[in-house]
Amino acid sequence: MSDYGQLQIGNAGSVDAVQFLLLGAVLFVIGAIGVIIRRNPLVILVSIELMLNAVNLTLITFARQLHNTEGQLFALLTMVVAAAEAVVGLAVLVDVFRTRDVDDVDELSELKG
Amino acid sequence: MSLAGVLFYVLALIAVLGGVGVVISKEPVRSVLSLVGVMLALAGLFLMLSAQFVFAVQIIVYAGAVMVLFLFVVALLGPIREGPSGPLKLHWAYLVVVLAPLTIGLWALLNQIQFRKPDGLDITFFGTVEQIGYGLFTTYLYPFELTSILLLIAAVGAIYLSRGGRSAEEEREGVEGRSV
Repeated sequence: MSDYGQLQIGNAGSVDAVQFLLLGAVLFVIGAIGVIIRRNPLVILVSIELMLNAVNLTLITFARQLHNTEGQLFALLTMVVAAAEAVVGLAVLVDVFRTRDVDDVDELSELKG
Repeated sequence: MSLAGVLFYVLALIAVLGGVGVVISKEPVRSVLSLVGVMLALAGLFLMLSAQFVFAVQIIVYAGAVMVLFLFVVALLGPIREGPSGPLKLHWAYLVVVLAPLTIGLWALLNQIQFRKPDGLDITFFGTVEQIGYGLFTTYLYPFELTSILLLIAAVGAIYLSRGGRSAEEEREGVEGRSV
């Protein structure tokens, strides 16, 4: 069986695609842990950005492995969505902080029924 | 180990350490700056994966524009310190319940993975602006155009949200006040 998982990096040798995928998974889990354990809303947004970047790495790894640019197009669209999400999230954050001091997202529970 | 392997491990180490820094930093500004480090390391990995255009976009748009936006908000809000965390019952149990299936599943998946044969596209021109542009303006034209609407909505929404906390009544009074 020829190993399609070995990615040639120019003339500098090859790297196993699994290593890129594992790195993406590790970064995603670190971001998820950040979303769960941190209570500062700003840090939660930063952790979400980290998760989105980890997914981009996976998309681009598979694009490279399959020699198919669609993965890179998806990564670009993900970046656009992430930028829009960051803008709206930060605007909400600024609006909330204008009226009161919040240092814990658990305090923002007015919408609870 | 080959040069590519060394480069990969250096960039991966920067990315993971930056990721840990994002989560454990007490100051939000350190979290944001750690994320910039992660994004630059990931940009290097994108370049290794011959995604030249995504590499440039990652540095200009992500590490540049989006992170500057985050830093502006940090500067605007001032220091926010998290108080001591309250006790969460059985948090080690939660950790094991969540992480064990993830780790085992991931290990099994990546251990058994068999990669498909590449489609045979010419790797020399792979990931160039020309190829990305061709994809965006032919097959993926509608998603591409939809992103412009999404960005417009996000911009209008952000302006509306940060416009100020004045209610509609106050706005009317303000207008009448000026006319008198």
